[in-house]
Amino acid sequence: MSLKNVLENWSNYRKGAEEGGHHTYEHMWGMAIDLNKCTGCNACSVACYAENNLATVGKDRMMKHQGMHWLRMERYWDEPDLGGDDNEFQVRGGSVLPMMCQQCNSATCEPVCPVAATYHTPDGLNAQVYNRCIGSRYCSNNCPYRLRYFNFYSYYEESWPAPLHMQLNPDLSVRDKGVMEKCTFCVQRIRTAKDTAQREERVVKDGDVITACAQTCPTQAIIFGDLLDKTSKVSKVWESQQVVLGKAKQSKENKELRGYRVLEGLNTDPKVLYLDRVREA
Amino acid sequence: MSGNDINRRDFLKYMGLGGVSAAALSGCDMPTTVTLEEGKETVVSYLAPEEYVIPGIGVWYASTCQQCPSACGVHGRVREGRLLKVEGNPDSPINGVGLCQMGQASVQTHYNPDRITQPMVRQGGDLVPVSWDEVWKLMQEKASNVAPGRSAWFTGTVSGHQSVLLAELKTAWGGDHFTYEAINNAVGEAVNKEVLGDAMPSYHIAKAKTVLSFGADFLGTWLSPVHFSQEYAEFRSGDRGVLIQVEPKMSMTGMNADLWVAARPGTEGVLALGIANVLLTKHQLDGASLSVAQRDVIAQYSAEKVTEITGVAGETVSRIAAYLKERSPSVVLSGASAHGHVNGYQNAMAIMMLNVLLGNIGKTIEASNSVMFDELRARTGSSRALLDFTKAVGDGQYDVVFFQGANPVYSAPNHLALSEKLSKVPFKVVFSMFMDETTMVADVVLPLSSSYEEWATHVAPYQPKGGAISMSQPVMKQLYPETRAFGDLLLGMLKHRGVEGYADFDDYYAYLRGVLKSLPASLKDGKSDDVFWADTLQRGFIKASASGSALTAVVGDITQVSQKPATDYPMHLVPSIHQNMWDGRNANLPWLQEAPDQVSKVFWDSWAELHPKTADKLGVKEGDFIRVESAQGAVEVQVYIFKGVHPDVVAIPMGQGHEAYGRYAKGVGVNVLKMLSPAIEEKSGEIAAYATQVRISKTGKHAKLARLGGSEYQMGRKLVATVAADVFRRTEGGSDVA
Repeated sequence: MSLKNVLENWSNYRKGAEEGGHHTYEHMWGMAIDLNKCTGCNACSVACYAENNLATVGKDRMMKHQGMHWLRMERYWDEPDLGGDDNEFQVRGGSVLPMMCQQCNSATCEPVCPVAATYHTPDGLNAQVYNRCIGSRYCSNNCPYRLRYFNFYSYYEESWPAPLHMQLNPDLSVRDKGVMEKCTFCVQRIRTAKDTAQREERVVKDGDVITACAQTCPTQAIIFGDLLDKTSKVSKVWESQQVVLGKAKQSKENKELRGYRVLEGLNTDPKVLYLDRVREA
Repeated sequence: MSGNDINRRDFLKYMGLGGVSAAALSGCDMPTTVTLEEGKETVVSYLAPEEYVIPGIGVWYASTCQQCPSACGVHGRVREGRLLKVEGNPDSPINGVGLCQMGQASVQTHYNPDRITQPMVRQGGDLVPVSWDEVWKLMQEKASNVAPGRSAWFTGTVSGHQSVLLAELKTAWGGDHFTYEAINNAVGEAVNKEVLGDAMPSYHIAKAKTVLSFGADFLGTWLSPVHFSQEYAEFRSGDRGVLIQVEPKMSMTGMNADLWVAARPGTEGVLALGIANVLLTKHQLDGASLSVAQRDVIAQYSAEKVTEITGVAGETVSRIAAYLKERSPSVVLSGASAHGHVNGYQNAMAIMMLNVLLGNIGKTIEASNSVMFDELRARTGSSRALLDFTKAVGDGQYDVVFFQGANPVYSAPNHLALSEKLSKVPFKVVFSMFMDETTMVADVVLPLSSSYEEWATHVAPYQPKGGAISMSQPVMKQLYPETRAFGDLLLGMLKHRGVEGYADFDDYYAYLRGVLKSLPASLKDGKSDDVFWADTLQRGFIKASASGSALTAVVGDITQVSQKPATDYPMHLVPSIHQNMWDGRNANLPWLQEAPDQVSKVFWDSWAELHPKTADKLGVKEGDFIRVESAQGAVEVQVYIFKGVHPDVVAIPMGQGHEAYGRYAKGVGVNVLKMLSPAIEEKSGEIAAYATQVRISKTGKHAKLARLGGSEYQMGRKLVATVAADVFRRTEGGSDVA
């Protein structure tokens, strides 16, 4: 997408999902994460560091919330008003929530970017163009999930002392100071899968692309795939949970189904579906 | 177009000769800039790439993860000669596609900037780099004529052909071999052996409807966590199973429990008997599998008495018993926090009794899977090995000690005075990748190659699906030419010693090829030796199952003798297992330091967990430094306060507080293992790691705790909602949607 295109179609890019958005989508990459299976082990997060050249920033910067964990494992304790009996002990354990960019279809980060460095792709991805980013950080300020990470420093100078740098994934860049970054749904893997499919003269099949987090998950709690492909595993989960894109409030026939999207009411139209944690009463 | 081609080719040629690093082209050596002027190295052209190397295309090689003893199968992605990432080997009989955070970070062990690159010898107090020739000469001089019984090996868990060669060396030298793991299941294995006749039975969590775990963190650190996580996913699907976790400090498994119970440390056995009593009386369970005497012991544990001893409310005991009765079959597990007491064996025996009483043996606990070759099976480590070794060293029993895969100088408690005693060993040889605390006291340091640079076979101690020999192959060329594979060094030592039968093997690779040739034809599926070899490398393992003999179910002595708490030191110290650090061996990996602890969410530091009641009494809030003092030592550490710890407990994770071990580990946090008391488990002789009594005091110092996130609560935002299991079973019972 050229900048020219962005400027010419500026008003189109402001259209929300209710108005049908602006794209004819080729794919609609999405996820489903079962919190009944997720144990909070953090393997996904470390796999993300390995796949996406995420810098380690050290204790002090982590404490300033400058960690670059594109996928962070949040943990909450039960509150009595959520049904937890935590008078003396956390008898029902904790709640864990793997949070990565929710790839919203009405992303609050996109319209505020003064240079269109973050925009929606025909794959339904919320993309970040590093070499267009000027570091205004408006997007990060506008993300209700706090899932955008800014390069306050040239982390590459310290993060990969030789020979650690030999591990860097050449399929994507190492980011420099002044640039915003975030989860891309492993766009380099999507790219590879599309290229392979094209070379083999076929369409991308379900299972051709798997993100690093979903791949390593010991309980296979994360399912990734194309929401436009009605036969994909992820589509089937969305369908079975009666959650549809393009709505701020779901009208489920079966109110007991577990599927929900985090902060859905903000009308961000996220493409990550979570399935409720389950506990014995 | 042809003109373009020539131009491009020329361009590449110049690039190859010019300023582009040779590493990017040949892909294997350390990056060095080769220039025409210097002409230092052979220039490798793009046009003649190494076999299999297609620029831009990753190739996956099978290998075995060595970050913990579970030995998960991995595929390593190699591009332009560099290993980039590892992922679970989908065909692996241990972990399948999944891999834990330690496995993901194993590439940082391989590429660690603090690796030892050359052999070193102590000269005038310092370790100085020398050549291998000098090392072998010195070894010849000092180690080869050692008298029988005057040498010892001190290693972590060993298996496969490394174990075979070690046994040969041991015989040749007439020495001893200690296998030590700070994190082990030795007490559990001893009880399994007595009751089931099998030290390492198979546990089928997926088949169970209720899992009652006394401190077995099977999702994080127990036996084979990735495998058990897979089973857990199945256990939680369909007719969702119930998980009950009893432990003094919430582990990751506890964090996922339906019912988390904090029993007074060391009283787990009493709680098990209390549960048995409710099962026998209220639920009228048939107690025929137990003797009359055993049932009499159980009958003594009324609800009131159990509550008095364990601090667990009667209704909780009833609730646990009801789950076990109603949701059968069940499986009852025991782990470190139940084993690590003076009465650990008693605890584990009472817990195993529940399995017998509930009829789980043969249903959810079945005979072990193992490989058909005894000599290849894993020699699992224990902490008793450390005690025995320290004593022998203190008695001046050894002239030569070889260390590998263990860091006892870091993990030995202060009271053992291991460092001082080691000075009585005149010649200490350490095989190591890193300058850890043990390597620092070496007389000779032999630099090891990483597990992704070497040939090896491993046999996982816990074999979930049939017995398998796991293969490790070099997925890339060695980073440092002077490092050696452990197997090669063992072979070299055997050859130096002139042990018969090894002279013909040029290296460990040749030895392993020879070994695979000699495997029985039944394992080779009618393939020729070369095809079988290639096939094995591609698969990453060889299936070689032995059928285990049926389990017995003879419960031993379940009498519980209560421990009296020391009054000067009223609190129990829990040296919990940090799932990222393991026993401290992963503290040098920046990804794992930066990844927050799964429960407390603390990163790059140590912390002490306190219950809010205890914190109130002491007058401390999160981030305050407290002093935790045992009779053997003290640490100052920041507190994290939450309701996942028993009020009489202060929990500090092990694995931090390194005095060496590279830039990422050194000086981070405190080493809780140093302050352990001399208590030992009475029956097995293991270190009773959870039996240390401490007192805590305020220091008045405060700093912000290095913890991820702001609020610990959702503030009603419905970030993670919870539904009742009944609803789940109604809507999704019998089907697995995800």
